[in-house]
Order: sequence, then C-alpha cells, then structure tokens
Amino acid sequence: MWDKDAWLEVAHNLMSHPLRATLTGLSVALGMFILVVMQGLGFGLRNGVEQQFSDDAVNSIWVNTGRTQLPYKGHQSNRRVKLNNRDVPGLFAKADTVPAFSRRIRMWGVEMVHDAKNGKAEMGNFGLRGVDPDHLELERTTLLSGRFLHAGDVSEAKKVAVVGPNIVQELFKNEDAVGAFFRLNGVLFQVVGTFEDPGSRWENRVAYIPFTTAQSLFRSDDSMEQVILGTGALTTEETVVQSANMLSWLKDVKGVHPDDPRGVEVDNNNEEYAIYASIFEGIRWFIWGIGLMTLLAGAVGVANILAIGVKERTKEIGVRRALGASNGSIVGLVVMESAVLMTWSGCLGLVAAVAVLKGVAPMAEHEYFQNPQVDVRIALWALLILVLVGLASGLGPALRALSIRPVEALRDE
Amino acid sequence: MIHLQGITKSFQTGSHTLQVLKGVDLEVAKGDLVAIMGSSGSGKSTLLNVLGLLDSYDQGSYHLGGQEMSKLTERRAAETRLDMLGFVFQSFNLIGFKTAAENVALPLYYQKVPRKERMLRAHALLERVGLLEWADHLPSQLSGGQKQRVAIARSLAGNPEVILADEPTGALDSATSHEVMSLLQELNADGMTLVVVTHEHDIAEGCKRIIRLRDGRVETEGHVG
Repeated sequence: MWDKDAWLEVAHNLMSHPLRATLTGLSVALGMFILVVMQGLGFGLRNGVEQQFSDDAVNSIWVNTGRTQLPYKGHQSNRRVKLNNRDVPGLFAKADTVPAFSRRIRMWGVEMVHDAKNGKAEMGNFGLRGVDPDHLELERTTLLSGRFLHAGDVSEAKKVAVVGPNIVQELFKNEDAVGAFFRLNGVLFQVVGTFEDPGSRWENRVAYIPFTTAQSLFRSDDSMEQVILGTGALTTEETVVQSANMLSWLKDVKGVHPDDPRGVEVDNNNEEYAIYASIFEGIRWFIWGIGLMTLLAGAVGVANILAIGVKERTKEIGVRRALGASNGSIVGLVVMESAVLMTWSGCLGLVAAVAVLKGVAPMAEHEYFQNPQVDVRIALWALLILVLVGLASGLGPALRALSIRPVEALRDE
Repeated sequence: MIHLQGITKSFQTGSHTLQVLKGVDLEVAKGDLVAIMGSSGSGKSTLLNVLGLLDSYDQGSYHLGGQEMSKLTERRAAETRLDMLGFVFQSFNLIGFKTAAENVALPLYYQKVPRKERMLRAHALLERVGLLEWADHLPSQLSGGQKQRVAIARSLAGNPEVILADEPTGALDSATSHEVMSLLQELNADGMTLVVVTHEHDIAEGCKRIIRLRDGRVETEGHVG
C-alpha cells in the first residue's frame, strides 16, 4: 500500500482532473488559511489587550473621585468630591489585607528646569505624580537605574524624584540623570532613579516624587486624586466584595447618592481582567469553531470529488477486484488520494497564512493589536486535524468503492 | 481441475425469483480447452462468474484444484482469484491510464512482487504475445486485437491454473478474432487450462470441447470433430 505505485496512482488520479483537484484543494487551503490567520489575529488581539493590562497590576483596586451627578442629602449635583488623608485608613478597614498601597496626586504641564554644566538651562513641561513606594509595583513601572522612592522619602517629605525616559532625554540630554538636580516651581529636586512604563507613552513623561512632598508643595488641603490598593492573592470574587464594600462606605462618608455613577468610583482591575479573560476565551472558541467549520466544508468537497471519482472508476475498481485486489488496497487507493489532496492543500494554506501573518499583519499594529503570530502548537493541531479529516472524508467513498461488485462493474453495457 | 455438481443460482428481481442455473454439472480437466456456448439468457455468463468466484451460487458443489469453493469469504475469494485464475473480458478492461506493461504487471502488484521483477515479467509476457515494442503504450494507442493480447498477457501474469475468457473475441473483427483464438490455442498447447464463453461457432470449433447451455442446464457436451 505504501509503495511507489500507490503514490504514482494517487498523483496520476489527481493530475488527470487538474481543475477539479485544484478547486477542491483551494477550498481546503482556504479553510486552513482562515483557521490559522484567525488564530493569529486572535493572538494579536489578546496580546494587545494584555499589553493594556500590563500598564497596571491586575490585582489592584483603584479608588477615584469626581463630580456627582445626583443631588443627595442636601448637596447639589455636580459637586466635586475629594479624597482626603483621613479616608485612607477607612478604606484600609474595608480590606482584609493591604499588601500594597499608594496614594496619588497627579499634575500635568509642570515646568522643570535643569541647569546644565555648560551653564545653559534646559527646561520642559512634564507630568508630576506624588506617590508612595508601592506605586512601583501597582503601576508596573520598570526601574531602569538608581532606586524608586523609599518609605523614608515619604515620611520625611524629601525632595527627590524618579524620572521617566522622556525627561532623561529632554531635560538631561540622555546624560546620567541619577544624582542630578532640577528645579520644580523654584524647589530643587534630586533625581534618585529613572524608570520606564510599558503602558502608554504619556507615563514616560512623568516624574515621581514622594506623596507627602507633593501634597505639601502643591495642595492647600490634604486632598489627593487616587488611592490604589493591592489585593494580593485574593480571588476575584473576594475582591469584588471588597471593592463593593469600599464603594458603599466611601459614598456614605462623602454624601454621594448610592445610585450615583460618578462622584466616587472604585475600579477593580481583578474584575475587569476576569471579564476580558472570559471574553477572550469565548473569542478563542469562536475562532476555532469558524476555522473548523471552514475546514469541514473543504473536507466535504474532498469527499464529494472522491465519490465522483469512485463512480467514474467503477469499472476500473471492478477490474482490480476481479484480478484479486484486496479490500485494503482498494480502500488505500481512495483514502490516500483524499489524504494527499487534503494534506497538500492544507500545507499550502498554512504556508500562505504564515506568510500573511508575518508579512502583512505587522503593518496593522495598533494599541489593542500587537504581535499577531502563529502558535506552532496550533499549526500542528490544525495539520493533525486536517490529516484526520482527510482520512475520514476518504472513508465514505472508499467504503462505496468496496461495495462495488466486480460482476456488476464488468457487465458490458 | 474444475468440478461442478448440481450448481444452482437464482436472482431475485422484484417480487419473483429468476432461476438462472438449474443444476449444472461440469468437469474441466487440467490442460483442457473448453467452449461454453448458449443463447443469451442461457446462463453462460452467470456460470462463468460462478467459476471465476465473482458470484456466489445457491446449491451444489464447486471444486477448483481440489478445493471446495462454497461459502468463501470475500477475502478468500479475492486471494483465490489472484493465485489460481486469470480473466479475459470481452471489452478488455485494461486500465486506461496505465501502459501495456503496467496493466500486465497489475496482478503481480497485488501478489506483492517487487516492482523491478514485476516489470521484467510483464515485458517477458508481452514478448510472448508479440507486443514487446508496445510495452510503453497506453491502451488508447492500441488496436482492439492488441488490447486483447495485452489482456491475455495480464491473465497469464499471476501464473494461474485456469484462464476464464468471457467472449474474448466479441469486440473484434473476424481476422483479429482468429489471431486471438490461435494465441489461446498456443497457451493451451503449452499446458494451460482454458474455459471460453462464446456465441461464435468458429471460435467454439477451435476448442477441444464444446458445452452447450440451454435454459440453465447443460444441454449437450461433446468433443470437437
């Protein structure tokens, strides 16, 4: 069955109907192509979203405030709610554990000046964030040199800063910034470290200073914009309960209507990530489903032409059986043809899909769409499925070939 | 070589049964050359199918080379056809996309003879039927007589005990018919046993014995002149 003649015969049969074989092969190739390309695109989409999530720690809860939308307890709507220092222990009380936390003050367009050695003053407008030491892990910032802020920096409200790559580039002209000084609203700060943030480019134009320093320099009261709380190893369900408790407590404290969507917001990254993860699980199955259906359509086409082929070759198969061909050799004849056609065109589709993903997809890079690629395991799975489907689609026509009785096949019309 | 006793065979067509063979007794000795004659509907093709293990029979006994042939599995029947029987058909039944040599070598392929040896033997057989120079031609490039000689070479390839020929000259003109018949006679002279179904008298005359079938039974059995 596996000798040269059998293969020659398969090749001959396929080539004696070039148009038919090509069209059928095309449908299989297209199925494979669609399956693999969609897998690759799905992969890219997931990469993109995971990149978005890599901005901040997944296991964290972010508490923000804004303007109210509903009047409540004698307050007008559109009232600005502020987070204050005394709210922080209150939020802590609603959490089982707080493995990491950071208060945060944000400012944009802050002028920073660096007196360079040549006497020239470099200046620029950058972002400023007053934070606690845990901010490094909660924001998933990568430290490039020096150190991040210490607990001591915060407790003593030191004038130190950790600066982003854009500041290093524009203010310090790419020189070693650690140890250098810059002026901020006339106050001298020393750079103790540099960082890089995988999230967005805006976050690379930021300088981090101790929260206490920022509050005393830039706030007339004890307000802040955000409190970030790590949730450690808590399950998503536990964090949902925790963030709900924080929300209702904070609304109560701030006099915000329980149904007000603004005013107080508690964003649970755990929950959002879980939602995205389940969406992507769904998309993955969807893609497999469509890809397999397309492949199946191709396989039905293959089974169809094989059935026609068997019908056309009734006489030949009858002759072979009269001469003493074994059942196995007849089945082999048909099944091999299908397996060869499917495997060949499937590989063609696979190659085309890889070429498209490698060549075209990088041009379509987007924030939410990154590094589309073929998972080798998926490609192997698809090939295995293809061969199995090829064998299966040959089986029906092959059994039909077996049912041909030589007497009937050889009867002269 | 062939021993038939009381062979019956009927076909179910719709609601009624058609009794085609009604108890055929037949004896073919080794080295015999037998013609089976009969008008259409006499059952001669059915008889040949039974002899060729291409069709089953209802009752009676069939011994081929001393072995009982009743209730053979499909697989055993195929193996017996492969090893003991050679077939020659009216419409040649060569495989169109294979060359003459490849057609001749086909039974050897099913006997799992290595490719080189297959082609060697196929060429020797084509030489035997006088078609060596046509070995690489496709059937469509051959005349009717040539096709039938290729088919005869193919029937010889498996080294059979008996060759069964179903109207071997039915599709040929009379001159070619006689060529083919004399080839069959040559094979018989070399010791091959042949059973030839025909409705042509001069072909039957060329055999050693003629068996006439009529209405599913052997009517007369006699030696030729």
